[in-house]
Amino acid sequence: MREIKYIGSFFLFIFVFLLTSCVEEEALDDTPQGNFDALWKIIDEQYCFLDYKEIDWNEIHTRYQKRITANMSEDGLFEVLADMLAELKDGHVNLYSASDIARYWKWYEDYPINFDENIQAKYLGTNYKIAAGIKYRILSNNIGYIYYESFSNGIGSGNLDEILQYLAICDGLIIDVRNNGGGTITNSTELAARFTNEKVLTGYIQHKTGTGHSDFSDPLPIYLEPSNRIRWQKKVVVLTNRQCFSATNDFVNSMSIFPLVTIMGDKTGGGSGLPFSSELPNGWSVRFSASPQLDANKNQIEWGINPDIKVDMTSEDAARNKDTMIEEAMAFLKK
Amino acid sequence: MKKTILILVAAYLLSVPTFAQLQLDSLQANRLVTRTTMYGVGYTNIYDTYLSPVEYTGIEARISRETIRMTKLFDGNVSAQSFFQANLAYTENKSETNNTFSGLVNWNYALHYRFPINDNLKILAGGLGEVNGGFVYNLRNTNNPASAKAYINLGASGMIIYRMKFKNYPVTWRYQANIPFVGLMFSPNYGQSYYEIFSLKNHDNIVQFTSLHNQPSIRQMLSADLPIGSAKLRISYLWDVQQSKVNQLKTHTYSHIVMFGFVKELYKIPNKEREALPANLKAY
Repeated sequence: MREIKYIGSFFLFIFVFLLTSCVEEEALDDTPQGNFDALWKIIDEQYCFLDYKEIDWNEIHTRYQKRITANMSEDGLFEVLADMLAELKDGHVNLYSASDIARYWKWYEDYPINFDENIQAKYLGTNYKIAAGIKYRILSNNIGYIYYESFSNGIGSGNLDEILQYLAICDGLIIDVRNNGGGTITNSTELAARFTNEKVLTGYIQHKTGTGHSDFSDPLPIYLEPSNRIRWQKKVVVLTNRQCFSATNDFVNSMSIFPLVTIMGDKTGGGSGLPFSSELPNGWSVRFSASPQLDANKNQIEWGINPDIKVDMTSEDAARNKDTMIEEAMAFLKK
Repeated sequence: MKKTILILVAAYLLSVPTFAQLQLDSLQANRLVTRTTMYGVGYTNIYDTYLSPVEYTGIEARISRETIRMTKLFDGNVSAQSFFQANLAYTENKSETNNTFSGLVNWNYALHYRFPINDNLKILAGGLGEVNGGFVYNLRNTNNPASAKAYINLGASGMIIYRMKFKNYPVTWRYQANIPFVGLMFSPNYGQSYYEIFSLKNHDNIVQFTSLHNQPSIRQMLSADLPIGSAKLRISYLWDVQQSKVNQLKTHTYSHIVMFGFVKELYKIPNKEREALPANLKAY
């Protein structure tokens, strides 16, 4: 009898335990209202620049709520949500549906392009060398020229050794990262490590510790260790334009610290928030900045990094198939 | 000469215990091992807010291997159970726009005290220790594509074993529930990337203490052992609830799995006694 009571208590405990302890998905309706609320909540809780950019996200909710109707079309909903995300002014924020990708590109669209592939081809010629994701050659006045198109292209240690060894006879080196929209941050670190002989503090990283707009971890220092392979010991010019974003922004931030490196061109496009992904009840995927990186002085670089020497391509030079920025870089390195 | 040989052989045979004598004289409960390997498939529901606010559901395949035997502890009233299981799952979100792969390996070791109620009913209660390792991989995400699972626990375990007969056909039922009470779990911080944890080596707060308030999990099994000829078939239903609320991240895995396997009863013979067995009995 006593054992039956124990068995009964045991089952009751299990039953109550199961009923009361569920860690469940929060109810999210797959309706225009449900998807709007879900997207607003994701940004409210996980986006990392609401305070820094002084965005009143509650006011934006009120303003965009007026455009949500129960029977709106998918295209209509996408347009409203895309417009709401554009308020963040962030190239790392995208909404992906089956038919389109919402994006904010004004951080370079509203500025001079400062890059022309056809004119660049006059400098590269046809016999430039290619190693991993890098095109390189020695220019006519013994200046080395590297063009790295995307940090999504991985570069091997052996590739970089070959490139730097080939260019070692040059008087200086141009690293052109114009129109490089970013990629993998470890590629940025791999390349930058060839240009320092000592361990250097290059910046800080934070992450959100909770859902509040100000819930951040203490800034964690990021150090760049010098590569134990071939390192460049002469002057460098890094060419930048407004399309330099994300991992490229990180690369420019690291390089700007080194004494032999000069950043030349236009302010970079920024993009210092490491993006995460999430999704809405209707299956649309959303990407957003989640983890901010700061420079070595704990300043935000989300809006970009100013060059040491501001140079724009001029139309006069372009008409003569000359790239003003490459020309200025060559002259600088020859001094 | 022949007479001498016969006397010597008789003396040898009389001095060495026979296999029949071994069975009767030295049968020990703690050497009888019940081992079952099972294979199953079922339904799973995965939720991990580090990756997505949406549940993913789909199919799971699972294998398990259980060994249970009596020990000499507490006058031979304690059994030891070693349970290993591994699963792989492929799931989809409700809108059918994305998938995840997931998997988990679990090993738990439990000691149960046996309370025999009558000849047919036994209640077992005790504690367990367990180790878990696994992953959830979201096929669409960018810098948060995967969630690593690594956690250990001490917990409570209860079992009810009931033997019955359906018209002279014997069936042994077993219900078991394991609940972790204290443990340690790996978890990234709320918005922390694995890049920060592993490349930048920031390990602050990534190992968290867990208990019922933030890891309300339970593993349940209902099995039936059915003798078929000289074999014994075991059919099990597993209801596995793994949940956590750590570093403001919420996860759950709810699995319902049906498994099949055969139960083997093995008797462990110590080396000394094995050497005494007649050679023609041994294959090796």
